[in-house]
Amino acid sequence: MATITIKHITKAFGDNVVLREFNETFGDGEFITLLGPSGCGKTTMLRIIAGFEKPTSGELYIGDQLVSGGKTFIPPEKRGIGMVFQSYAVWPHMNVYDNVAYPLTIQKKSKAEIREKVNRVLDIVHLAQYARRFPNQLSGGQQQRVALARALVAEPQLLLLDEPLSNLDAKLRETMRFEIKEIQRQLGITVVYVTHDQTEAMAMSDRILLINRGVVQQSGTPEDIYNRPANQFVADFLGKVDFFKGESRDGRILFPAMGGQSIPYDGPRKGGVDVAIRPENLYFAADGPLSGTLESQYYLGDVDDCRVRVGDTLVRVIVNGHEYKTLTPGQPVRLGIRDFMVFEDDGLLEQMLQIQT
Amino acid sequence: MKNAVAMQRGIAQRDRTPLITKLILLCVFILGIAIIAMGYAGMQAYSASGFSSETAYWAIHALSGDVYSAWNKKLEPQLSALTADERAAVGDAARALLTDAWENQKSGAGAQAAELADSEEMTYKLLYATYLVGGPKVSSAAKKELAAADGDALRAGLLRCLADEGAPLPEAAGKAVGELTGLERQAALMQAWFVSNDSAASTEQANTLKKGVRDKAVQLTAFRMIARGEVSWLWQLVVANSRTAILVGIILALDMLLLAILMMGDKTWILDFKWIIILLIVDFLLLFQLMPLIYMVIKAFFPESKFSLETFKRLYTYSLNLDALKNTLIAAFATMILGTLLAFPLAWLVGRTNLYGKKFFRSLFVLTYMVPPYVGAMAWLRLLNPNVGTINQWLRLLFGLSDAPGPLNVYSLPGMIWVLTSFYYPYAFITISRAMEKMDPSLEEASRISGSSPLKTVFTVTLPMMMPSLISGALLVFVSAASCYGIPSIIGSPGRVHTVTTRIVEYVALGQQGLNDATGMAVFLMVLAVIILFISDVVLAKRQYITVSGKSVRPAIVDLRKWRVPMTVIVGIFAVIVIFIPFITIFSTSFKIDVGKSMFAENNFTITNWKTVFGRVETLNSLKNSLIFAAVTATIGIVIACTMSYLLQRTRIRGRKIPDFLITLGSGTPSVVIALGLIMTMKGNFGINIYNTAYIMIIAYTIKYLMMGMRTVVSAMSQIHPSLEECSQVSGASWLRTMRRITGPLIFPSIAAGWFLIFIPSFYELSMTTLLYSSTTKTIGFQLYEYWTFTSQPMSCAMAFGILMIVVFLNFVLNRLTKGEFSI
Repeated sequence: MATITIKHITKAFGDNVVLREFNETFGDGEFITLLGPSGCGKTTMLRIIAGFEKPTSGELYIGDQLVSGGKTFIPPEKRGIGMVFQSYAVWPHMNVYDNVAYPLTIQKKSKAEIREKVNRVLDIVHLAQYARRFPNQLSGGQQQRVALARALVAEPQLLLLDEPLSNLDAKLRETMRFEIKEIQRQLGITVVYVTHDQTEAMAMSDRILLINRGVVQQSGTPEDIYNRPANQFVADFLGKVDFFKGESRDGRILFPAMGGQSIPYDGPRKGGVDVAIRPENLYFAADGPLSGTLESQYYLGDVDDCRVRVGDTLVRVIVNGHEYKTLTPGQPVRLGIRDFMVFEDDGLLEQMLQIQT
Repeated sequence: MKNAVAMQRGIAQRDRTPLITKLILLCVFILGIAIIAMGYAGMQAYSASGFSSETAYWAIHALSGDVYSAWNKKLEPQLSALTADERAAVGDAARALLTDAWENQKSGAGAQAAELADSEEMTYKLLYATYLVGGPKVSSAAKKELAAADGDALRAGLLRCLADEGAPLPEAAGKAVGELTGLERQAALMQAWFVSNDSAASTEQANTLKKGVRDKAVQLTAFRMIARGEVSWLWQLVVANSRTAILVGIILALDMLLLAILMMGDKTWILDFKWIIILLIVDFLLLFQLMPLIYMVIKAFFPESKFSLETFKRLYTYSLNLDALKNTLIAAFATMILGTLLAFPLAWLVGRTNLYGKKFFRSLFVLTYMVPPYVGAMAWLRLLNPNVGTINQWLRLLFGLSDAPGPLNVYSLPGMIWVLTSFYYPYAFITISRAMEKMDPSLEEASRISGSSPLKTVFTVTLPMMMPSLISGALLVFVSAASCYGIPSIIGSPGRVHTVTTRIVEYVALGQQGLNDATGMAVFLMVLAVIILFISDVVLAKRQYITVSGKSVRPAIVDLRKWRVPMTVIVGIFAVIVIFIPFITIFSTSFKIDVGKSMFAENNFTITNWKTVFGRVETLNSLKNSLIFAAVTATIGIVIACTMSYLLQRTRIRGRKIPDFLITLGSGTPSVVIALGLIMTMKGNFGINIYNTAYIMIIAYTIKYLMMGMRTVVSAMSQIHPSLEECSQVSGASWLRTMRRITGPLIFPSIAAGWFLIFIPSFYELSMTTLLYSSTTKTIGFQLYEYWTFTSQPMSCAMAFGILMIVVFLNFVLNRLTKGEFSI
């Protein structure tokens, strides 16, 4: 059973608190992504799970066993975890086979068993024919798969991945993303995955923990987080979003900066609000609630990225690429709106969006 | 506008056919060959002439010029002042004198003189030269009198005397001519005339000529050449410098060949200025480093210009040499093993654990690297002297042993090994700890997560990954110990523990035959060094896992837990034994009168040693020499180092690896071998004579220590991403401005560090200096060695401590200059 229970974990390096009161439970077989900007504390959390860092306070359980907390501290080698490092950490003095066989050698498995297991895992990562090669003869993607094979070979119930794809090129990253997900589904293991790439997180995770400044901002499925962000930071971090200050009253939200234009709103919030609108949720419609002038457009092939001036505000609108030719900058347009998010205006927006590094 | 011009130029260059470049190359190559041929012909002419010194050849040329001007300016007007009869008489007398002088000096040459002297002018020219080179002497007292007299009147009087025996003798010539009669009187008159005419410069030329033409037949050749006007200045230049000409020709031709090979890869055949720089550096190293080494090997295998192993047979059947060989190998091997066994755990403890005072220990161990080895030898000699060594006295007291010598004896092979180890383990320590700190910690973490304990990780991952660095550190210790001279000469020699280096120095002291034998010994050392260089630079480099990366990594720190205090204590004790006790010994000995007693014993404390040593002019002179030589070396070295770093790190120019290779080879060559090679090739036999000068020492230091500076600057340069410079260029800064504003400031600390890394070892150098010094170029290291061997140990300790203080002070300066980034 590889559930992970994190209770009140706080980690500080000197005065610098990088994780604050972390409380989570990861279920068995769950694919968890720790997502956040760099320096948010996600890697520290992963290293605490692995046992490379001791939390300043709090407790960590793997399954039912307390591995870190109080006087107890189980070193990494006793935790039975697989891990893939950002730099791959493939040992340059061993060939692919020896690298992958290493965890089994430590467990003093028989030669035959080692051979069988190594070959099987090399098959899974499509490296069978490279077994005798040394790491410097492999491409980045192949090294990455060696690291993955090594992490999987001892059949751990828990696999930790620390930005494993960040050093690969875009195409390979996409392939590997699905391969990793596929392997996880096949083996049914629990995966904790650290990344700062939202697409990666969205594509692979059962659940995303969005972290900022050492605090979990929201935990939920990709769909939850994208469509129902808990706060402005979450909304901003995932996907594209623009914020507008508005006034909610009488079933409408009025935007002072848009020359007092307003949109219908039937939600519960009243008074000052932050309205977050994703540009792809705006569209050109003759009967739309907002009117303005098309200022510029950027043709990106699949979509047409437009800027519309509404009152004193520049609003970004992303529409289907086919509409490109029907529009000319300078023409008056009306904007319809499919969906938007409303947050209470607590005056912290600017500060919250500032990414701490 | 500028761009347009550049474009045009670019196009123009592309338009030019490679043919022109090829032709130019060919022309210069042919010029080189021509110079060689000319030099060769000159050498033949010179050999045929029988002169023993090229400078004599020069002297003939100069002398013939002087004769001409003497004739023209002085004799001609005076002769024309005489009557025709008198002139004829003087002419007759001159011819008679010349014939006589030649007849007397070189039997049977009188007729030839008469034949050559067919014109009056020629007679006087020859006579002048003859008297300058070999004529009867005028005493210096007589010369003074002649010089005091009124020149023109005196000479006119002398000429009249020569024409007419009855004419009155000028008073001033009285002493010179005296009571002589007949031909002798005439000869003395003539001589007096020449003396009163003579200039100091021509006397000097005559002296040089005399040295080169002691053989009468050779003198004759010289005179004949003067008489026939066979001494054109160009030919003279070639003959007198035939060896230099050949050398220049060879270098020129080689350069062109090299350039052609380099250009062949680049189809455009456009001459790149960088190649010229590369060629200049290569030429310098070729001349002063490679040629001496090759010459030594040839000399060892072809002692009498025929292949023979006689030298080796003679050398290595002599038991003393065989012992030296064995001692060297045993000592170097033992030092390597011991040094590495010490260095690895120390490097690990200091670099990768939570040992107390890590930083302090680290700088302490590295500091030893900067202490001259012979100072350590002196300290250990004081501590472990079998009779009065401090440690031996304590041990005897402690175990109640008798007063007999012992129990430890530094004058032995084990003693030497111990001292070598205590001074060369830092070499391994530095190599290993650098690699250890650069290692990506995730490599070890990956092992931990795979289930391996920290200790097992050390053996399965850390150690194997370190292996190449470990081996190259060990090999560095081996070759350093094998080629060390300071320690064996101070400890080994009194104990009759000879090593190859001490034998080489002893052989050199023996003169010519010794020099040949020294070569045979040196070849052994050289082969050893080259093999090791090959292993560590070619074989190991391919297996080097840890590359210096610009990425900052924080190595994982191992918690020693309950071992933290005991380990710190052990490392502390080691530091006390290896570093503090020797330094304190040096310090305290420098205040002693009787070295066998404690500094605090009654009537045993004095500061006279310090006063005497630093009050002597020779000490201060040698200190001045050392500072100047080291500063010049460091400056030349750092200029080459910066140039090379730029070429290696910022250009893809072909051939940039050639000087790099040569520099590596130079630093790997044992000091004694470098010095010996320079002695054998730089004394004029190859057209360069810098023997016994400061130049030869500066060149030797440069070859040996250049790499230290280069590596420092190269690694600094490699850490500056080229984009930093590119960005500056994009911003509109010229190359020069980018260097000054971006690259320069960024690598300045490393340049300063590189300068000091060359300066400090050059400052206290001993091995090369021992072979290369002359009375005016003694250095502080050599002076110290002389004091230790011939004068007084306390005094030399005072001097040693002085050197140490200078080194520590320089280190402090460096630290300040680089804002704490570097210290040695």
